[in-house]
Amino acid sequence: MNQMAIRRPTPWKRIAAVAAIAGPGLIAANAGNDAGGIATYASAGSQFGYRTIFLMVLVTIGLVLVQEMSARLGAHTGEGLVSLFREHFSLRTATFAMVMLLIANLGLVVSEFAGIGAALEMAGVSRYMAVPVAAAAIWALVVFGSYRYAERIFLLFTLAFLGYPIAAILSHPHWRDVAANAAVPHLLGSAAFITLAIQLVGTTITPYMQLFQAAAVADRPGSVNLRVIRLDAVSGAIFANVISIFIIIATAAAIGGSGPLASADQAAKALVPVAGHGAEALFAFGLFGAAALAAAVVPLSTSYALAEAVGVERSVSNTFKEAPLFLGMFTFQIVIGAVVALAPGNLITLLLNMQTLNGVITPIILGFILVLANRRSVLGENVNGPVFRVAAAACVVVVGALALVFVYQTVQGWGWVP
Amino acid sequence: MAASLRTASSSLSAQLVSVAGLIGRPVRTGDGQKVGRVVDLICRNDAQAYPPVAGLVVRVGFRRIFVPGAQVAEISGSAVILASAQIDMHDYQRRSGERLLMGHIVDHQVVDVDGVRVVRVSDLYLARLGSMWCLVGVDVSMTTLLRRLGPAVFRVRPTPDRVIDWAVIQSFGTGEQPVRLASDRAALHRLRPAQLADLLEELGRSQRQELLSRLDPGTAADAVEEMEDDDVRELLRDADEATTVELMVHMEPDEAVDALRDLDHEQREEILASVPEATSTELRQLLAYDEDVAAGIMTSRLITLTGNQTVGDATTLLREYVAENGNDLTYVVVVDEEGRLVDDITVVELLIAGPATPLSDLVGEPWPVTVTADLPIDELAQAFIDNRGSSVLVLDSQRRPLGRVMADDLVDVFATQRRGLLWRKS
Repeated sequence: MNQMAIRRPTPWKRIAAVAAIAGPGLIAANAGNDAGGIATYASAGSQFGYRTIFLMVLVTIGLVLVQEMSARLGAHTGEGLVSLFREHFSLRTATFAMVMLLIANLGLVVSEFAGIGAALEMAGVSRYMAVPVAAAAIWALVVFGSYRYAERIFLLFTLAFLGYPIAAILSHPHWRDVAANAAVPHLLGSAAFITLAIQLVGTTITPYMQLFQAAAVADRPGSVNLRVIRLDAVSGAIFANVISIFIIIATAAAIGGSGPLASADQAAKALVPVAGHGAEALFAFGLFGAAALAAAVVPLSTSYALAEAVGVERSVSNTFKEAPLFLGMFTFQIVIGAVVALAPGNLITLLLNMQTLNGVITPIILGFILVLANRRSVLGENVNGPVFRVAAAACVVVVGALALVFVYQTVQGWGWVP
Repeated sequence: MAASLRTASSSLSAQLVSVAGLIGRPVRTGDGQKVGRVVDLICRNDAQAYPPVAGLVVRVGFRRIFVPGAQVAEISGSAVILASAQIDMHDYQRRSGERLLMGHIVDHQVVDVDGVRVVRVSDLYLARLGSMWCLVGVDVSMTTLLRRLGPAVFRVRPTPDRVIDWAVIQSFGTGEQPVRLASDRAALHRLRPAQLADLLEELGRSQRQELLSRLDPGTAADAVEEMEDDDVRELLRDADEATTVELMVHMEPDEAVDALRDLDHEQREEILASVPEATSTELRQLLAYDEDVAAGIMTSRLITLTGNQTVGDATTLLREYVAENGNDLTYVVVVDEEGRLVDDITVVELLIAGPATPLSDLVGEPWPVTVTADLPIDELAQAFIDNRGSSVLVLDSQRRPLGRVMADDLVDVFATQRRGLLWRKS
């Protein structure tokens, strides 16, 4: 038989294909660098200098494990996380998990609108105008279908945060200090450190990202090769956290030692080495873009996941009559997010508090994901191997212990316990 | 019980038993002694419209035992009463061909063949048919979910306001045992390919493979042709060799090539190695063209005749073609003795002429607009407009027909790749 040569795709197509494959993992992980992320990493830098970098290394390892599990779950079953909860746990357990996820994601939506408010406040716009208008605009963009274009614009805005690695380098930190802090554990027992640790966990291993990773891989795998999918999830997680660490370094170099982050202006100082007088504008752009992007994607993904688990219509091209749960949930999240973000008070503090909420809920969701990934009835041959089980379990235990310590210290602070 | 269960009435509710509500309820012997609690119910995978409950899984202390359906006297919302005062304590063992109602069907996705959609089961309903308790309906409403979360008194009460007749439901296995199950719903095979494609796209991985394996190869191929590229790729990755070969053989070559292009080299070679040689050669010929040119998206299946053959000959060939490939061909090509293109005749023209008419009589204006194999796809649109037909012939350098670009393939290219300048009018 005459073996004819089969034309391979041109080099340009190959690059485009790889870029498309780089999709789910990279996007999911960069969801961690949203408004809450920026605020938390900046706060880490301003409060503790470089001393949280070791913690970030640990958190990165945890994130890699968790994102890989989520990707594997999505790829093997072809279904989203919440659907898997419903199929493999009792309805009550699944409902509990879903409610926890919803609360965590509502916290995220609040923090995104707080971020939008903070960014526009830097431009002199009152939050009482900025937040409602932004909420209405985002809702309308998504529901009436032109979100694609807005998404691209917001993505462009977030490129501003590539200024962080540059700023970090330009600010000439003591690299030896940085390396020392990365390698040697610095774990302080102070309440402030515990709180910040929970915030770091909450914003980096945020439950939303596991939801997104699994769903993105289930719906549009890009590649059908499980190895590529897993590699993408892992590399996306690492890349995003590298950016996060640069944010910590740059902020530490600029305003290290000034306590928790109090305002967006403070955080913008970190970008002075790279943008000079334009630092505030650059920061505001980046913050706005990241927050607006997430303000649409988070409620949308959450509603989608819930509608899939219940088994109802779930497309933005549906009318309210056709898809009441899906569109209703989406609207509900936007409304609650915007309303809470309008409460008087420091927006940055609100942002940080929402990450704390996420951090406390994270071990619960991680536990459920781990149980699923350990079951052969779910993942078949792709079930967690023994080493992975131990590593992932350790991760969940540590995060859970941290959450418990935080809760204890909080109720202690309220005077409920001695 | 062929009538749909969609109407809700209290008398109907009284006849139904909610499976979700039954879980955890006590199992008593004939004289009222409690034996254990219901863990799950079992039905066999056969083709019955309303399969009877084959047995129960009952928790007695720390053991799970199997109670055959024959030993059950009464199933009510609040308890299961057994026929005799004694039971045999056989430990429950999973057997193939059996399905757990709560564990495998409730909360999972099934296909409503009548409504042509994938639904998630909120609850299952049993009713007494003759002497047996049978599975009769699927509840998909959200209120039922809320009911299940509530206290026991609500849980056991059926709420049949959105119930689908089990007879039109196609359910699936768990994906752990890739068994070819016998229970197909007849209506499944009457669905249109586009409808089947929608269902396939929405199902999870293991269920998709199961559904595909139930369809006959021709229908399966038609359905796959209608699916999105990403889903086809995933489907081919998961399918076993036999299914893949069937699909490749039955799919139109242009669609098969489209699917093959998206795979990686290894997978493609594997598939090409396992299909029959004729198919493999046909597909390789098409794969040799770049996907950006006319020949890359064409189908190579043509009906060619010479001018001295008659309409009757053409009809015979068409009949053979349709029997093998389905009836989407609307042209026959007339060539000369050296195989070079003379004209492209529509089936309508054949229909109007008598069977004895030689094809040379039908040859004439309007002459077909043709393209060469290496014409970039962007320029194909103009040829389509000029030709005013549903396909355009692709010729080689000697004006011999190589294949045909179909309109739907061209639209597919533009729709999925969103090229900037769609219509480059020269």
